Amino acid sequence: MPAPNKVRVDVCDVSLAYGRTQVLRSVSVTVEPGEFFALLGPSGSGKSTLLRLIAGFNQAQSGRILIGGEDVSRVPPWKRDIGMVFQNYALWPHKTVAENVAFGLEERRLPRDLIHTRVAAALELVGLQDYGTRRPGQLSGGQQQRVAVARTIAIEPKLLLLDEPLSNLDAKLRVHMRAELLALQRKLGITTIFVTHDQEEALSISDRVAVLDGGAIQQVGTPMALYDRPANRFIANFVGTINLIPGRVERAADGEMLFASDTIGHLPLPQGAPPGAAEMAIRPHALALARVGQPGAAAYSWLEGRIAEREFLGEFVRYGVVVGELALTIDVPHHADSVTFDIGSTVQVGINPRQSGLLAN
Amino acid sequence: MPARATPAQYAVAALIALFLLVFLVIPVLTVIYVAFADGAGGFTLSHFSSFFHISLMRESFWNSLYVGFWSVLISSLIAIPLAYFTVRFEFRGALLIQTLGILPLIMPPFVGAVAMQLIFGRSGGVNLLLNDWFGFTLPIMEGLNGVIFVEALHYFPFILMNLVVALNNIDSSMEESAQNLGASGFRLFRRIVFPLAMPGYVAGAALVFIKVFDDLGTPLVLNQTNMLAPQAYLRITSIGIEDPIGYVASVIMVAASLFALWASTWVMRGKDYATLQRGYAGLAKRRLTTGQTVLAYGWIGLVLLVVLAPHAGILLLSVAKLWSFSVVPESYTLAHYAAVFQDSPRMIWNTVLYCGIAATLDVVIATAIAYIMLRTRIPGRQALDFTVTIALAIPGVVLGIGYLRTFRGIEIPFTGELLTSSWLLLVLAYTVRRLPYALRSCIAALQQMHVSLEEAAENLGASKGRTIRRIVVPLMAGGMLAGFIISFMTAAVELSTTIMLVTAQNDAPMSYGIYLYMQSAAGRGPGAALGVLAVVLVAAGTYLSHRLVGRTGSTQPHDIQKIGV
Repeated sequence: MPAPNKVRVDVCDVSLAYGRTQVLRSVSVTVEPGEFFALLGPSGSGKSTLLRLIAGFNQAQSGRILIGGEDVSRVPPWKRDIGMVFQNYALWPHKTVAENVAFGLEERRLPRDLIHTRVAAALELVGLQDYGTRRPGQLSGGQQQRVAVARTIAIEPKLLLLDEPLSNLDAKLRVHMRAELLALQRKLGITTIFVTHDQEEALSISDRVAVLDGGAIQQVGTPMALYDRPANRFIANFVGTINLIPGRVERAADGEMLFASDTIGHLPLPQGAPPGAAEMAIRPHALALARVGQPGAAAYSWLEGRIAEREFLGEFVRYGVVVGELALTIDVPHHADSVTFDIGSTVQVGINPRQSGLLAN
Repeated sequence: MPARATPAQYAVAALIALFLLVFLVIPVLTVIYVAFADGAGGFTLSHFSSFFHISLMRESFWNSLYVGFWSVLISSLIAIPLAYFTVRFEFRGALLIQTLGILPLIMPPFVGAVAMQLIFGRSGGVNLLLNDWFGFTLPIMEGLNGVIFVEALHYFPFILMNLVVALNNIDSSMEESAQNLGASGFRLFRRIVFPLAMPGYVAGAALVFIKVFDDLGTPLVLNQTNMLAPQAYLRITSIGIEDPIGYVASVIMVAASLFALWASTWVMRGKDYATLQRGYAGLAKRRLTTGQTVLAYGWIGLVLLVVLAPHAGILLLSVAKLWSFSVVPESYTLAHYAAVFQDSPRMIWNTVLYCGIAATLDVVIATAIAYIMLRTRIPGRQALDFTVTIALAIPGVVLGIGYLRTFRGIEIPFTGELLTSSWLLLVLAYTVRRLPYALRSCIAALQQMHVSLEEAAENLGASKGRTIRRIVVPLMAGGMLAGFIISFMTAAVELSTTIMLVTAQNDAPMSYGIYLYMQSAAGRGPGAALGVLAVVLVAAGTYLSHRLVGRTGSTQPHDIQKIGV
């Protein structure tokens, strides 16, 4: 299959409302050529609406969508040359696998033998070359998904849209298929946008992620950037698990910056930050636990706490620890001879300000 | 899985099987046997060969097929655009169009046929106007055209209803994915939407074909007797119950109907469209452009005008003093209604009595079959459902002939009256013919009810019998009542078996009365008045049934909580 020309997608200030419900609020985002780009958000965040807008199934009230620099806002779906894989695959039960894959090529009035080769190539690409004569109903969920992908890439679209492509698969298959999708995307080099509500899925395979909530983009960035430097509370909570400690950033008498909190006292801040009310954000695994009386590492500030909950999750143990009025979640890596703490016992909690982020209020 | 069936359940299943055997299977087999038996009880094809040697019979055979196919075709032409418009576009008047769906249940074609002649006939209103304005006439009601026209106008709603349901069940992503791959407009409809709605269309089309084949009244009223149903009827009533030609005609009718039924399932074999997809169902509604709006409303207006013609016609006819060679009646009167109330209150009472008994029996039997089908593992339970469904494909004339032959000479115990001259036989025929309708609504009602509701009752100490009485029947009540009303109203306008089995004027129901009146020019007025009364009676029932179906429709599985409270 020849490499398609990679296109760039610009969503410019797009707004959409159904009646009084504002679904998208002046959304702007750019997807770079050849990128594997995720739209991540909880249900009702507007992510699917945005994808359908790009495909042409919705009309925005304002704003423009440029694909390869060309405004497609007034182009109907069937003239956009964009491939879309639907959440439920939308395979037509009255057509065989091969007929499903051939459909888009037939609509483009390609010669019969060319259609034949392209269908065979598309099916081979997804490893279903022997399934052409089957009906969609005779295939497993994973196979149906591959047919849906083959049907879409057969038309060699400029842009590939995936609407929750993995949500109908079981957990094991989901992990397998997402690796397969990424490999396919890398092979074809086609700009790809996919919608998901699963943050693990978004973080694990995409080049960049746009997180949506309430119809607005909250943050755009690489998975690591989102994880390490969440822009606001929503991102911090939605992407991974996080502890938020309310407090204030203050300048101490010696000019050093401090994070002052009623519950945990003062912590020195290595990074510069504007003074004012703020929240310190720390991932559960960036916190440390130690027995009372045991000397802790110097990089940490140590506070006293009490174990309230304990969950064993395999690779690590997740503790709920009460420090003053604060409930913290702390993950301790687990191996056969690691120390565990009993519920009700008093412990030392270590906070390393270098591992934390600050969210301005 | 359901537990082992109790002896009581086995007994009920056996009783139902016996009923179906005696009043459906044996009479139909008798008809088939007679058609193939020589005098000594051996097998022969000579009756068939003599049947096809009579040119009138050959003609009748081809005419019936011809009328069947053309009726399906014209019904499709009316129904497909209507279904597509209403489902696909934001549309005012969709409700009106869907209401059309119940017209054939309310007024069977033979009632409106005479009115249609007065409107569309050679000297009917439409042709009078056409001749005045443009100097030509249309042979709409000439010969078989008339039968086809009347049948198509009455039975197209069967295609409409099934197609609307099928279109509504198509997932919107099915269409969107085709658009995404480059299809639009008519190609989209032809390649994706219509094929996906095919099961609904085929089911509707098969039903229309069967109904048209079954219909005896329309050809008789329009005096087109060179078709199979009228020939079977005429042979048996004029030559006698021994005449094998009538049986041969019957067997051919059964074969054609069964073929249509079988073909409709065969075409759809292995294509379980409905269960494959889930998610947001229903095609997205579109707004029509101005041009499309004009076209759509123009087409729908025209169709409505024609479709409502027999209904308006029968109403006009019932109050017309004189109506011939004119567009509308010249003067009006209520005398026909007076005449009907004077002459035939007995017929109205008979209809209520017969159909009431038949519909009650139907609901009882259907509830039992539904329970046996869905809640027990009694062997042969599928056969019960299958046998009842087959009844759909047995023309009324054939069942009537079967009854007359099978039960001849048999007396009702203690009274000494012959079964074949008793109205009881008519009631039994109605029961068997309408059982498929009642069964469908009872099965639907029971399917919507989660088995855990019964298990909860049993868990709390109720026996099987008490669970059925206190939980199952109350929860199915809506569906059962709907089944009762559908059975009642379709039986009330049933003519094919009625003509065969009515022996005394005193025992005749309304449908027979309408038919008798329509035989003479003088009787048209009272006939139409009786027809209007039947329509009013049945329309009231339809309204009631829709209210009830609407209510039970809400008892979806996810409403279990609500029901449980």
